[in-house]
Amino acid sequence: MVLAAVMSLWGVFEYSRFESVYQQQFRDPYKVSAQFSRLAGVRDAVPENAIIGYVTDLPRGTITDNATFDGAQYVLAPRMLQRTTSSDWVLGDFAKPDDFASIGRKYGLRMERDFGEGVVLFRKEGR
Amino acid sequence: MSGLLWILPALALGCLFVHHWLSLLRPRWLSILLLFGAGTPAGIGITSCLFYLSVVAAPRIQNLSMWIEMALLGGLAYAAFRKRQPPAAHLPALRFPLNALLIGSLLIAAVAVTTIISGAWEANPHGNWDAWTLWNLRARFLAAGGELAQRAWSPMLASHPEYPLLVSAFVGRCWAYGQDASTAVPIATSYLYLLSLLALMIGGIGLLRSQSLGLLAGLALLGTPTLLHEVPAQYADVPITCYFAGAIVLMLLDYPLLAGLCASMAAWTKDEGLLFLVLLCAAATAFRRRDVPRLIMGALPVTFIFLGFKALLHAGTPSILGNSVLGLVPKLEDPSRYGQVIGAFGSEFVGMASGWYHPLLPVLVLAIVLRFDRERHRDLLFCATVAGSLMLAYFATYIITPYDLTWHLQSSLDRIFVQLWPCLLLAVFAGLRRPEALARVAIQPTAEATPDKIRKKKKTPGRR
Repeated sequence: MVLAAVMSLWGVFEYSRFESVYQQQFRDPYKVSAQFSRLAGVRDAVPENAIIGYVTDLPRGTITDNATFDGAQYVLAPRMLQRTTSSDWVLGDFAKPDDFASIGRKYGLRMERDFGEGVVLFRKEGR
Repeated sequence: MSGLLWILPALALGCLFVHHWLSLLRPRWLSILLLFGAGTPAGIGITSCLFYLSVVAAPRIQNLSMWIEMALLGGLAYAAFRKRQPPAAHLPALRFPLNALLIGSLLIAAVAVTTIISGAWEANPHGNWDAWTLWNLRARFLAAGGELAQRAWSPMLASHPEYPLLVSAFVGRCWAYGQDASTAVPIATSYLYLLSLLALMIGGIGLLRSQSLGLLAGLALLGTPTLLHEVPAQYADVPITCYFAGAIVLMLLDYPLLAGLCASMAAWTKDEGLLFLVLLCAAATAFRRRDVPRLIMGALPVTFIFLGFKALLHAGTPSILGNSVLGLVPKLEDPSRYGQVIGAFGSEFVGMASGWYHPLLPVLVLAIVLRFDRERHRDLLFCATVAGSLMLAYFATYIITPYDLTWHLQSSLDRIFVQLWPCLLLAVFAGLRRPEALARVAIQPTAEATPDKIRKKKKTPGRR
C-alpha cells in the first residue's frame, strides 16, 4: 500500500516536471490574450449583432491563418466572423505593413479606421 | 469575477438534488465526498440545461433560467430541511493503520496538483486550441443572450456547431448572470470537474469497498499525468469522464436513477456520451437488470434535450457515423487500418508514461499485493464491460472514421484515453480485496456491518 501511494506521488512529481516544461514552451502559443487588446477598437466600433467579413494577407489554411482567424472570432464574439468581403463590416487582419486602403478598394471596401498592429476596419463602399 | 460567484448556486442546487436521492452512510466524510462528487457535475448539468432551454424557448426573457434556478434551489433546500434522514448506516469501523498516511499523501498530492495546474492557468488563461475555438467561443455566444445566443449552434460557425452544449452553456450562464466574461469561470469549471472526479473515486470506492481502497483510488487518479494535463486545457474530456465515473459509481452504489442522469449528461457534454449511455444500459441489462428501468428514467430528461438539439437544431448535420457511411466497406476490409489503430492505441498507452513512471504501476502493485476479491467479480465485470465496450466502440469509430485516420488518431486519441482511464481504475478498484483484510485488522461486525448489507437495507420500498 505504501509503495502504491509513493508511486502515485511519484506520478504527481512527474506531472509537475512535464507540465512546467510544457508551460515554458507553450505560453499562450497563439497569442489569444494579445488579440483582446489588438482587437479592442473593433469590438467598440462594430455592433454585437454584426456579421463581419474578413480579409488577411496570411496564406490561407495555414496554422497561423487559422489561429489568427479563430482568435479574432473568439475575441469578437458574439459578432460573427466570416471569410468574406461582401459584409457591411470587414475586418482586415494583416501580418505585414501594406497599403491597406488600396487592398480594401480591390474588394470594393472603404477603410473606416486603421487601429494599428495590422488591424483595419473596412466598410462596404456606399455605406 | 462575479461570474465565478454564479458557480456556487449551481453547486448548491446539484448537491441538494443529489442529497434528495442519496442515503447518507457512515463514515460521513465519505458520504459528503460522494455528495460533492455527484452533486457538482449534476448541478453544472442541471443549470446548463435550464440556461440552454431558456435561450431556445424564450430568448427574449432575460435570465429566465436564473429565476427558475432560484425557485428550484429554494424548493430543494426546503425539502432537505424537511427530509428526515434515517439513522446513517455504519460501514465497518475500519481501523486500517495506514489510513492517516494515505490521507496525508492524498492531501499533499492534491495541493501539489493544484499548484502545478495554477501555473498552467496563468500561462494559458483561455485554455488550449479547442477551448477558444469551440467550447468557450460558444459560451461567449450563449452569454450574449437573446437572438445572438443562437449563434452558438449556427452553421456559419467553422468549428463543430453540432457538438453538445453542456459545458459551453454552463460557462455562458455564469458569464451572462455575472455580466463578465472572465476566464476564471471556465478555469474554475474544469478544476471543479477534476475535484468531483477525485471525490467520486474516493467517496464511491470508499463507501463501496473500504476507506483505504477509496483513498488509494484517489491517489491513483492523481498519479495520472496525462489526465491532469487535460484539466487546464478547458476541453470537455475531463467533464465527460467525470460523468462516466459518476454513472458507474452510482450504479455500483445502487442509485440507478442518478446514474442515468449522469450518463445522459455525458451525452449532453460530448457525442461520445451517447455511446456511453447506450453501453451502460446494455451492461446494466446484462448485470443489473432490475436497475434498468430506473436507469432509463433518470436518463430520459437530458437525453430528450440532447436529441432535441440534434434533431431540431441540427437536422441534416451528419454525425461522424453518418459521414462514415460512404466508403464504409473498404475501410472495414482494410487490415492496415486495424494495424494502424491497434498500434496507435498501444503507443498511446505506453505514452501515458512520464519518465520511468507509468500510471499503471501503482495499480499493478495493488493488484499484485491485494489481488482480486472473488465476491466482487460481478462489480468488476460490470465496470470492465462498460469500459471495455467503450474502448471497442472508440476503436471501431477510428476504423470507419471519415477523416484522415492518422490525423484523427493524433488529434484525439490522447483525450480518449483520458476519458477511459478513470473507468478502468474504477473497474480495478471495485474488484480489489480490501487492504484491511490483508492487514488482518479487526473489523467490528455490527448489525449494519458490511456494504452489501447496507445495500440490501437501502432497498426499502418507496425509498426511490
